[in-house]
Parts: sequence; structure tokens; C-alpha cells
Amino acid sequence: MFLALKEIRHEKLRYGLIIGMIVLVTYLVFVLSGLAYGLAQQNTQAISSWDASRVALDKDANDSISQSLITSTTANKVAMTKHEAYLGQAGVVAKAKGQAKLSAQFLGISRQQFIYQTVKVTHGHKPVKANQIMVDDSFKDNGYALGDKVTLNSTSGQYTIVGFTHNAKMSVAPVVYGSLGTWRTLSHVTSNYKANGIVSNDANFSAQHGLSTLSMSQFINKLPGYSAQNTTFTFMIAFLMIIAMVVIAVFLYILTMQKLPNYAVLRAQGIPAKVLVTTTISQALLLVVGGLVIGTALTLATVLALPAGVPMSFNLPLLGGVTAGILLTGVIGALIPVKIILNVDPVSVIGG
Amino acid sequence: MPALTLTNVNKKFGHATNEVIVLHDISFEASAGEVSLVLGPSGSGKSTFLTIAGGIQTPTSGSVVVENKTLQELSGKDRDALRLNQIGFILQAYNLVPYLTVKDQFKLVDRVKPQGNLNAAELADLLDQLGIGQLVNQFPAELSGGQTQRVAIARALYQNPDIILADEPTAALDSDRVKVVGQLLRDLAKQHNKAIVVVTHDLRLQEFADKTYMIMDGKMTVA
Repeated sequence: MFLALKEIRHEKLRYGLIIGMIVLVTYLVFVLSGLAYGLAQQNTQAISSWDASRVALDKDANDSISQSLITSTTANKVAMTKHEAYLGQAGVVAKAKGQAKLSAQFLGISRQQFIYQTVKVTHGHKPVKANQIMVDDSFKDNGYALGDKVTLNSTSGQYTIVGFTHNAKMSVAPVVYGSLGTWRTLSHVTSNYKANGIVSNDANFSAQHGLSTLSMSQFINKLPGYSAQNTTFTFMIAFLMIIAMVVIAVFLYILTMQKLPNYAVLRAQGIPAKVLVTTTISQALLLVVGGLVIGTALTLATVLALPAGVPMSFNLPLLGGVTAGILLTGVIGALIPVKIILNVDPVSVIGG
Repeated sequence: MPALTLTNVNKKFGHATNEVIVLHDISFEASAGEVSLVLGPSGSGKSTFLTIAGGIQTPTSGSVVVENKTLQELSGKDRDALRLNQIGFILQAYNLVPYLTVKDQFKLVDRVKPQGNLNAAELADLLDQLGIGQLVNQFPAELSGGQTQRVAIARALYQNPDIILADEPTAALDSDRVKVVGQLLRDLAKQHNKAIVVVTHDLRLQEFADKTYMIMDGKMTVA
């Protein structure tokens, strides 16, 4: 550590540039991870808030709720308990007088069922009449307020916002909770259709009668774009980590090669190879930790500066995983030149 | 009992038609309290002799005994420890770590060998004797060639070794400084009972030597 610190202090520009590079890689990985997690959350926030385990959809709907329609005849054959709830879903454009249009996901639910009871109100109250709706907090951020009369799509009816709920997003759009009757109106279906799906918080729930039952992870993966988006981000982050490892390894390799004459002298003087290896690894760790700290600070500053609409979100396991990954990358990069250090030939610095 | 003994040492490089014999049947002894000077032109094999004597290289045949330990019988780790504790190297080039001040060059020794080094007063005396006492906060790049050489000498002597192996220690020094270094090496031998071996082509050091040898084409003779 003594040699590592002394060298960094003496070669400020050189090591500053390396730390700068690690900062940029860290920043990019953190921001991409934050965006990936934020977008993933905005796809599933509403669903996660119900603590549900299973979803039953029409067996011909290709596991997609927007393609599923459950007739009343089929629905009546399913034994509904307090653990099950009907769910109607429709994409809508919400508009109130003097406010901007907002694209949203309308979710029709029944007041007697568990989803309605699970959803938490942050302001106002839950809808109790057919023409009442409860909306995600992001409506409030866009200027909407309790009591606003909202039109949904091109239907003639008006719906009053009676409550706000927090973190209610689905498919990266704010959710509008309303009745199943409103869902039918928005979906242009008759009362012959009960809902798009049946959601259950019973892990053993299994619907028959022409319905297929999915776990929540299967259901979420079939949300439009969710799987493709996550795969894209995962590949971007993985490639970035690999590139970071190669770049850090190349930098450390070049640095080590430049130091070999000094290492040869130290080896000639009896300094154990272990000391030189420890120096190289501890120096790599110092550089990576320095880069991580600055990169994290830069990410936090970015998060504070970004508008609320940018879907960036972090959680500790995610940040911990990314941090450990970058640290590991640095250690692997530092280990590559170890063999060269162990084989450094002191004779090379003593003339003939 | 000699501190360093080389017996019938041969060193060859290459094979068959490419074989080069660098050292040929060298036998040599250096005792505590003596300065041994090994003179020879460039390419004569004197640096190979020095690296074999210090356990950095192994001979093709023959034996090297340092303080009653046969080097070929020691592991690499033990040879490292022997060099760190009992042998001080004064090398021609790259002698100092470029990102450490003069003071830190000695601190580095303290870190890997906490005991047995010179104490602060002894180090201050040594630095004054070499005329570099005022340079302790300088980096090697800020020193002249002669100053660098003298710091390298101090660096080797700091770990207080029993044997000092010096490779052209006066190459960058003027005649006055050669006398200082020569006298210092002689004092170390006489007053501190060190075995000093200097390989050089600098004849100005001859007056400080107890024994002088010549190496020519890998063969050693007493001068």
C-alpha cells in the first residue's frame, strides 16, 4: 500500500486519467442500471403493489393480458374466493380541461375484491361510484388535482379524480383505477365479458375452463416490450462491464510494464515478489474505489438534476451488485500482470 | 571463514553451436573486513559474476556459499531473504524508485525489513558523509547523476548488510567523489567488518582495495 499510495501521489496526472476513466465507466453503468431498474419498475409497479401470485388469462391470448378476454360464462365457472379479483385493462388517453393529455393504463377493478382493498391511497379516497377514478401521483405532477373531471379516450363520459395513489404504473404509463363497467365502455365490450384476466394472491390458484394460469413473473415477462427492454439493458450493462474490465486490465498491464525496471531493482535488492504483487493489486483497488466513489457522487448529482419524468430508480442490492462487479473487474484486471511481476528478472537491470 | 565463496563456477548461455561461456571456472573468496576489486572491461563477465555471487542468477556448475549457506540449495524465497538481510546491492542503473523521495527510499526498506537497518543518527551520518544530507526530500529525477549514485549507495548500506556487492558504483562520479565513496567502502570494511566486492573498470578505486582481481573473457586472475 505504501508504494501504491506514493506512486499515485507522485503521478497525479497519469492516475487521475485512469480514475477519470473508471469514473466514466462507473457513471455509465450506474445510470444504465438505474434506467433499467426504473423502467422495469414502471412496467410493474402497480402489479407489484397487489402482492399477487397468479394470473388467469384466456388460453388463446398468448399469455398477454391485452389479448385476453374472459366471457361471463367462463368467469362464472371459476370459483372466486376472497383471494381472486377480476382485472380489466385498457390503454387510454386522459384529458382534463386546461391540462395536458396523458397516456395511461386504465385498470378496471371490483370494489368487493382484493385489488381494490390492497391499493393504497395517498390523497383523497378510493372510487365508490362508477364515474369516479383514482390515479397515479404522476397525474398530480402534471397539474391534475382532486375533483378534476377527466375524459378517457373519445368516450363521452366524464370521470372525477377522487384519489391519488403512489407508484402505480404499468407498462411505463400511469394507472387509472376505475370500475369494471368503465373498462367495458373503454374496451367497447358488452356485459357478456367479465374482464381481461383474473388475478389471485393465492400461490396455488389454478383456473380451468379454457383459461391458462400464469405465475406473476411469466405474466410480467409477457407485458409488451418488458422482456426485450430488460434483455437489451442487461446486454448493454454486461458488455460495458466486459469493456471496463478489458480497459482497466490494459491500463494496469501498460503501467506494470513501465514499472518492470524498478521492480527488477527491487527484486535484486531482495524485496519479495509478494510485496510487489500486493502493491499492484492494492493500487488497482485504490483506483477502482476512487472511481466508484466519484462515479457514485456524479450519479447522485445526475439523479437530483434529472426531471421527475425520467424513469431512473435505484435499490441497494442493485447498487451493491454493480459496485461489487466493478470492484471484481478491477481485481481481475490487476491480477493479469501478476505473472509478469512474479517472473521479473533482476538480471535485466544489471549490465554485462 | 570467508563471507562469500565461489568455487569452480561456470556460467554458459545457449546450446551447442550457440553456446557462450561467460564465466570459466571461477573461484573467489571475499572475507569480512576486506574490499575486493574485480576489474574488467565491458562484456568481460564481471556483472554476471556479481549476479551469481548475489544469488540473482545460478551458475551452470560450481557452488556459491554466502555466510555458510549454499545458494543453490536455497529456495527462491530464501534467496530473496538472504539478499534483503545480508547482501546490499549497489547497481548501475534504475537504482532508485522514481516516485519515492530519498527519505522514502529508506522507509521502503523499513517496511520490508523492519529490523537491523541503520538508526536515524547512523543514516544522518552516512548521508552527510556522502554529501547528500540536504537531499532527503528530493525525488530521483531532481538529482544529478552523481547524487543519484550516492543515494543508491546509501540505500544499499542502509539495510546494514554483511556483504556489499557493487556494480560500477563510481561510474557517474568525479575524482573527488570517487575518493569519498572509495574511502567509505574501505571504512565499512575495516570499521564495520563488511565484505565488500566491487566490479568496475574504474582504476581510481584500486588504492582502496585489499585484493584486486581481473576478469577477461570469463576467466579471473589475481592482479
